Amino acid sequence: MAANPARVFAEMPRVQTRLRSWQLPATAAAGMLLLPALLFLTAFFALPALGLLSYSFLTQSPEGTLGPPLTLEHYGHFFGTGLYSHVLLTTLRISLVTTAAAIALGYPFALVMVRGGPLVNRALTIIVIAPLIVSVVVRTYGWQLILSNGKTGILNWLLLTTGIIKTPVTLLYSETAVVIGSLHVFFPMMVLPLASALGRIDPNIADAALTLGATSWRIFRRITLPLSLPGLAVGCSLVFSLTAGSFVTPAILGGSGAQMLGMLVDQQILVVYDWPFGATVATVLVVIVLAVNIVASRALDRRETAYSS
Amino acid sequence: MSNRLGGPITWLLVSVTVAMVIFILAPLLVTVAISISDTPYVVFPPRGFTLNWYAKVLRDADFQASLSFSFVLAVAATLGALLLGVPAAFAVTRHRFPGRGAAVAALLSPLVFPVLITGVALLQLFAVMGSNNTPLNMFIAHVLVTTPYVVRTVAASLTLADTSLEDAARTLGAGRWRVFRRITIPQIAPGVAAGSLFAFMVSFDNFPISLWLADAQHNPVPLLIFQMISNVFEPSIAAISTLMILLAMVIVVILERIMGLRRAMAI
Repeated sequence: MAANPARVFAEMPRVQTRLRSWQLPATAAAGMLLLPALLFLTAFFALPALGLLSYSFLTQSPEGTLGPPLTLEHYGHFFGTGLYSHVLLTTLRISLVTTAAAIALGYPFALVMVRGGPLVNRALTIIVIAPLIVSVVVRTYGWQLILSNGKTGILNWLLLTTGIIKTPVTLLYSETAVVIGSLHVFFPMMVLPLASALGRIDPNIADAALTLGATSWRIFRRITLPLSLPGLAVGCSLVFSLTAGSFVTPAILGGSGAQMLGMLVDQQILVVYDWPFGATVATVLVVIVLAVNIVASRALDRRETAYSS
Repeated sequence: MSNRLGGPITWLLVSVTVAMVIFILAPLLVTVAISISDTPYVVFPPRGFTLNWYAKVLRDADFQASLSFSFVLAVAATLGALLLGVPAAFAVTRHRFPGRGAAVAALLSPLVFPVLITGVALLQLFAVMGSNNTPLNMFIAHVLVTTPYVVRTVAASLTLADTSLEDAARTLGAGRWRVFRRITIPQIAPGVAAGSLFAFMVSFDNFPISLWLADAQHNPVPLLIFQMISNVFEPSIAAISTLMILLAMVIVVILERIMGLRRAMAI
């Protein structure tokens, strides 16, 4: 790497920090500042999470106590029972469809956000972020009002009034309703990383390509799309894993028509009191979410090493 | 040219965007419209105009109890998250040390893990510990979910703060504490304020953690709304929801003013 003046300039404050001999050694100072947060996270997040996951290998006695023998029986039960593998497949399908819809609708949205000028950018940023601060329960209630079956549903009223349909459509308590609700809740998680990636693309590259005679489709395919892939990867992993782990949206909009893993955990632990099996379902969900995140961050790392070399 | 919108597919991009703006706002606007409907059941378009649902909700003892519990819990959780999160944000932005990347990953890890499962894990921990103190359990849980947001927002504002001002003050002979008090604090104050408001709302809106730990006497507002959805069919739910939306909008305006919404969210 050649000596880059901008880089040297950026390093200067750090060099100065290191030169300040009267300061505590940086590592000790950082450690003291980090210690309370890290201890708290270990005690109330890492250890309980590992504890819960370990429950999935224990046996529950009829009296409700947990202990040995260690067993994989709960996983066999989960994957071997049609009802539960159906819930797993429903969860994966809803998460996948929601992610695909978020890409298809989020990409145009992010493009307009980045290229529509400062006013459009600011307005769309506020419109896309503001609902994040409204509780998911409130937003899902709004969707329940819109999607209600029969003539009382607002969408049905709209479609009947405009003459598009003759008889009310049935949407609530279906996978479609859960996809619509999840798309609403997690749409910002696709748009914001995408808009960041698109905003970082140097406009001169596209201008150069245009001067050299590239069509706008070719510019999109060869420049915009490849350079936006990191944002797309982050967006996809966020939307997929958040949808897979959701509870409120499927509980209100899906009900028994679209049962997801989160609802199964809730049912097993709060209704059936089957801790080992609830922990098993939770572990399956955690593994799915972590796998998606690892795949996405691997994809990002590979791109970064490819570009920096 | 090519970086501006233009060309034959622009109309497609713009119409998708307009459709999505309607999609994003629809459930919120519908809720507000229903909340002023002068009918004992939900009907669309709303008939008449009344604020009776608000009057009814605000007099309701369950709602009052939920609201005050949610408020106290969110304030307490925010203070806890600030105590843990601000020093941690300092450590990862102002110090270079081995394992810094791992520390950032650890601090933000609760954001990656499914929140619902974090809730079950805490329920199990409190059960094993025999801790039956619901407010204390919920306080710990809400500190846990809000701390990563405080770290993220405060770290974002610290990264933007100009460290050369601190260096200049030191060069001019100011002591460490004086530099911290006169330069660093004013610089990061908007970030800390934004992080606090954001943490407050994260706690106030939370459902998937509270679901596991709440009881009848300590029932936060989102849980109350969730319970009402399955057994109340009058517009009073819409009234509570509208109050939640209005509170969120006030916070949005303040966040946009003090730090810029986008930066405050640090996404």
